Amino acid sequence: MHAKVSSAQAGAAALKQAFRRHNIAAVVAMFAAALAFPFMPGVEGWMASQASLIVIYIIAAQGVSILTGYTGLVTVGHGGFLAIGAYTSALLSKFFGVDLVIGIVAGGLMAGVIGFALGLVFLRLSGAFMAIGTLGFAFFVGTVVNNVPIFEGREGISLPDNRVLGMEIGDVGFYVVSLTCLGLTTLFIYRLVHSGVGRAFMALRDSERAAESSGVNRLLFRTLSFSVSAAITGIAGALNAHIVNYVSAEVFADIWYSVDFLVATVVGGSAMMMGPFVGGVFIVMVPFFLEELADFAFIFKGVVLIGVLILAPAGIAGVLARPVQAWRARKLKALQQTGDAE
Amino acid sequence: MSEILRCENVIVSFGGVIACNNITLGIEEGKVVGLIGPNGAGKTTLFNVLTRFQDCDEGKLFFDGRDIGRHKPHEMAPLGMARTFQNINLFSEQSTLSNILIGAHHRIGNPFANMFGLPSARSNERALVEKAEYIAEMLRLTDDLDNPVKNLPYGHQKRVEMARALAGDPRIILLDEPVAGCNDEETADLKEIVRRVNQDLGITVFLVEHDMSMVMSICDHIYVINFGANLAEGTPAEIQQNPEVIKAYLGEEEDA
Repeated sequence: MHAKVSSAQAGAAALKQAFRRHNIAAVVAMFAAALAFPFMPGVEGWMASQASLIVIYIIAAQGVSILTGYTGLVTVGHGGFLAIGAYTSALLSKFFGVDLVIGIVAGGLMAGVIGFALGLVFLRLSGAFMAIGTLGFAFFVGTVVNNVPIFEGREGISLPDNRVLGMEIGDVGFYVVSLTCLGLTTLFIYRLVHSGVGRAFMALRDSERAAESSGVNRLLFRTLSFSVSAAITGIAGALNAHIVNYVSAEVFADIWYSVDFLVATVVGGSAMMMGPFVGGVFIVMVPFFLEELADFAFIFKGVVLIGVLILAPAGIAGVLARPVQAWRARKLKALQQTGDAE
Repeated sequence: MSEILRCENVIVSFGGVIACNNITLGIEEGKVVGLIGPNGAGKTTLFNVLTRFQDCDEGKLFFDGRDIGRHKPHEMAPLGMARTFQNINLFSEQSTLSNILIGAHHRIGNPFANMFGLPSARSNERALVEKAEYIAEMLRLTDDLDNPVKNLPYGHQKRVEMARALAGDPRIILLDEPVAGCNDEETADLKEIVRRVNQDLGITVFLVEHDMSMVMSICDHIYVINFGANLAEGTPAEIQQNPEVIKAYLGEEEDA
C-alpha cells in the first residue's frame, strides 16, 4: 500500500519545512525589532505609548479575526468586549490594587466567559441578524458603563500606577508588557488555527452542512469561537485601561471601537496571521498621518475598506504575501519538475 | 446479518407536498445498498432524513438498533456515519489535507487541550495526520495534499470528498449521487473506489444514484421508491425484471 517516497517528494517536504522556518524567523525578527524600538536613539516616551496603542489595536483585531476571519461571522460589537476587559481590570486595580498581569488575565477571562454566554444566544441568529445583535450588545455595554454607579460614567475612574510583579513600570515597561501579550496571543492563535478546533471553525465558515455531517457541533464551536475571540479583545481592553491609567464611559462606550476593529481586521486580512498586524498599524496611524485632516479619518478608513473589499478581499497582508507565495510556489514546482525528470 | 441503518414508515411533507409517504427500508451491515427512483420520488429527502438534516413528521429511525430520530446531523459522525454530497461540498479554500482531517473531527478530543496545543492533543493530531495521509495514498491524492481543493480537477475533488468521509472510520457511508457529472473514466474510478471501500475496509455503503449501470453492477441490494413510497426491493437482477419498476421508469405501454 505504501508508495515509494521519491527524492523529489522528500525534497519538497524539506523545502516546505524550510519555508515554515523562514516564517517563524521573520516573526521572531519582527518581535525583536519591535522590542528594541523604545530603546533606539531618538525615540521618546510618547512614541512608546503610541506603539503600545498599536499593539492594543492589533490584539483587539486578532480577537475579531478569530470570529470574522476564521469562523466567518461578522461582529460589530467587539468594542463591548474591550470595555468589559477594561473595566474588569480597572475595578480590580482600583479596589484591590491587583498586579497588571492579574488584571489582564482577569479582563480576558471575564470577556471570554461573557462571550461564551452571549454566543449561546447570538449564534442562533444567522448572518446579518447576528451582526446587528453584536451591535446591540456594544450599545448595551455602553449604556451600562454610563449609568451603573460603580463604573462612574463619564467621570471615569483614575487608576493607581501600573505594577508588574510588584515593580512599578513606566511607558516603556508598559510597552514591553503589551508586546509580551501580543506575542502570547499570536502564539495562541497560530496554535489554534493549526489545531482541530481551528479547522472546525474554518469548516463552519466554508460549508456548514459539510462541517456538520463531519461531526462538527455548530453551536458549540461557534460559541467557542465567539468566546475565544471575546477573551482576546478583552485582553486588549485591560491593556487599554492601563495605558493611561484611566477609564471612562466617554472612551469605552464609544461604538466606533467596534467598527475600527472590524475595519482593521478586514483591511489587514481577516484570515491571515499577519492581517491584524497590518490592520492595527493602519487604524492607529491613519489619524496620525492625516494630521489636521484627522477629522476625516473615518472617511479615509471607509474608502480604504471599500477599496480593499473590491480589489483585495484577502486584505493588505494578503497582497503583501502574494509575491512571497508565488516565489515559493515556483521553487517547489521547479523541484518537482526535476523529480519528474529523474 | 444485522441492519446497521433502518427507517420505518417515514413520512415527510413540505407544506402540501408529501415527499416521503410511508417509506420503510433497512440496510444490512457490510453490503452495498442502492436507492433508486424516478425524479421527485423522494430519494434526496429520505437521504437527508437518514443523515438527520431533515426531521420526519412521522416514522422511526434506527442506527445499529439505536433510535436516532432525535439526533442532530453532527451527532451521526461519532456513531459511525459519513456522507458525501450530490454536488461536491468541500472546504474549497483549504488544502486537501485539511479537508480530509475534518472528516476525523470527532477524534480531536478535548477542544481546550486541542486549542492550547497540549502534548496529548498534539500527538493525537499527528496520528490523525498520518491516518489522513494513508487515506490520501489509498485514493491517489498524495500529490494534492497541500493544494487548495478548489484548484483540483473534478474527479480529484470527488475523491477528496470520499477521503473526508473515510477519515472518521465510519461503519456506513452514504453517497448522494456519487458519479453525477462524472465522465466514463471518473465513473469507473469511483466505482472501483466504492468496491474497495466495501470489500477491503468492510464499510457498508448506501447510495442514491441515477446511473443505472453503476447501480446494477455494484449493489448487493436495491430499493426502488416512487412518489414517496416503496415500490420494490431486491437484487439487481430482480429489480431489472420487475414490471412495476420498468413501468415507473419507462411509463405504461398503451394498449394498441
